[in-house]
Amino acid sequence: MSIAKLCHAVETGSKKEAEDIARDLLNQNINIQETADQLTSTMQKIGDRFARLEIFLPGMMESAQTMTLAMNILGSKILESTSKGEYASKKAGKVVLGTVKGDLHEIGKNIVKLMLEANNFEVKDLGYDVDSMQFIKEAEAVGADFIAASSLMTTTMPHQKEIIDLLKDRDLRDKYKVVIGGAPTSQEWADRIGADLYCPDAGSSSKLMAALLQRK
Amino acid sequence: MIRFWDVLERAENGKILAEKDWDRMIGEVAAQVVSDYDIKYDPEDPVPTDDSLADRLFEAGVELFEKTGIYCIDTGKVLKFTKDEIMEALEGAPERAVYGSGNDVVEMPHREVEDPRDPVVNFSAVGTPVTEELFVPICQSYAQEPIADTFSGPLITTYRGMPVTSGSPVEMEAGIWNVIKLREAARLAGRPTIPIHNFMSIAERTDATIAAARPELGALAGDGLFVAAIAELKVDYERLKKVSFLINSPYVIGGLYGPLMGGYGGGPAATAALLVAHHILGVISFRAQRHNAFPIHIHNICNTSRDMIWLISITGQALARNTHLVTVANAFMASGPCTETIIWELAAHSVAATVSGWHLNPCAVAKNRHPLHCSGMEPRMHAEVGHVTARGGTTRKEAGRIVKALLERYEKHISNPPIGKSFTECYDPVSIKPKDEYILLWEDSKKSLEDLGLKFKLL
Repeated sequence: MSIAKLCHAVETGSKKEAEDIARDLLNQNINIQETADQLTSTMQKIGDRFARLEIFLPGMMESAQTMTLAMNILGSKILESTSKGEYASKKAGKVVLGTVKGDLHEIGKNIVKLMLEANNFEVKDLGYDVDSMQFIKEAEAVGADFIAASSLMTTTMPHQKEIIDLLKDRDLRDKYKVVIGGAPTSQEWADRIGADLYCPDAGSSSKLMAALLQRK
Repeated sequence: MIRFWDVLERAENGKILAEKDWDRMIGEVAAQVVSDYDIKYDPEDPVPTDDSLADRLFEAGVELFEKTGIYCIDTGKVLKFTKDEIMEALEGAPERAVYGSGNDVVEMPHREVEDPRDPVVNFSAVGTPVTEELFVPICQSYAQEPIADTFSGPLITTYRGMPVTSGSPVEMEAGIWNVIKLREAARLAGRPTIPIHNFMSIAERTDATIAAARPELGALAGDGLFVAAIAELKVDYERLKKVSFLINSPYVIGGLYGPLMGGYGGGPAATAALLVAHHILGVISFRAQRHNAFPIHIHNICNTSRDMIWLISITGQALARNTHLVTVANAFMASGPCTETIIWELAAHSVAATVSGWHLNPCAVAKNRHPLHCSGMEPRMHAEVGHVTARGGTTRKEAGRIVKALLERYEKHISNPPIGKSFTECYDPVSIKPKDEYILLWEDSKKSLEDLGLKFKLL
């Protein structure tokens, strides 16, 4: 059993196979840093394939779930390696993500979540119909870098602005990068409400957010 | 025959399921049925001519719906229907929708594949954000077009300086304003009783819609409203409340379905099956008299890419050949007004949709996200192409050749399209006439389209 085979199982969404390989790898003297890096690289490739629509959302979801299963099994090894200083998580940033109040659309938001996780972001997904204060409370609770709010209707877009207004009211505006997206939103809207970043599509979200964090 | 009460009862008493499990199941079932019925997307054949493929797609869509049903978000329940109930509902569905009254009656019959009758064209500034000041002039630019059978408006995001937020009193006030201003635009266009096929484009909530649905404000008997499904195959109580209101009203009910190609359903073939299933959802749970489809490419936010044209064409054929539903294709353009690219996009969508049995509902423009980027010229061009396509007796084979030639011209721009010009750059805002630049662009483009085989002298 090899890391390459595990990556292949993740790519094909073969859950049982991935679990078997991960258990087998536990008994080998593997480099957990290398394993995590290769799995992350695999998920990035899968994200790229989705961006080109060579695969579709169900395929990407299967791969993400398979990767999660494998990482859960490797969890004890990761903890052990972390304590020995052999492994350092390379989290790109922490994101509190949700679809704003009054809006039940979440497919785009779910894709953003997968793309971010594939690119090493830690994501707290609040779901849809999320109250503006809830975004802020969760961001405070997890120590987020980003608040990412999606809206699919023009009548719910004002809640993206509301999040920013509430952050200002509480003197928290500079603490978080506010990212917005969703079909009716635009760079113009982001500029008008003072968002830090507008993501035109799910595929670009991780790169744009990583670049924004580097500029911090 | 399934009654609306049965729908409500099943929304309360169906099997409970977590929403994420529903989303996952949709992809699994869609993949299974397209495999079982051998539905394959062929990029070389954007307007398929294979009747058996269309018929298999219909069967796949019915089986998909039978296996999945509908998900009600508010109750977390799954509404299931037997195949007998599905077929009976399709059999009993309206085969025509009738808008308007008096001299402004517009009949929308079921259309067939390669139907030589004109498609009915519903002129719509689908979801484009505009300002309060330009709302009426923009609506007028749609309603005044002689080829427009019905019209509807764009939306405003602020009203009297306040954001139009879902569920707020401002939303209700803006909704009432919406109806008043649409009818005002119709009067200014010289067509005071032209049907408005969707008189509420600003407010989302049902209470705001009901508040505005009054003839003295301008929502006349024989106008219409849309009820939109949530992707994929989901409804909620807000929508079902709207249906409850509409079936007791004089308004035409339109179902609105926008499965995401590349999303939970999967690729073009699976999303086509899902779109067929959405129409069944509309028949059963929305009691829809006409059905609007706006499948969208998950990355490009339009439906004019090659795979989307195929999806629209084959789904239209599947529904036209196997049901008597009144189906309407919503055009979503990547490019913006007054660009050459949008003309090729509009033409490709119109040709493919018209020969595939759809009526036409043009159009969202510039990916629907650029304020004020819409005008009556875009639906005019789409409608003219649709009319000459039908009147010329265009076959699917000929349509496929034309569409492929047009795709060559625009598909490389789809991911980064030109956003074009705003309404005031395209139109004189006082006379509400298109500027010469846009008229000349269209006249020149028509010559090129004639070279491809479209005969504009038939108009």
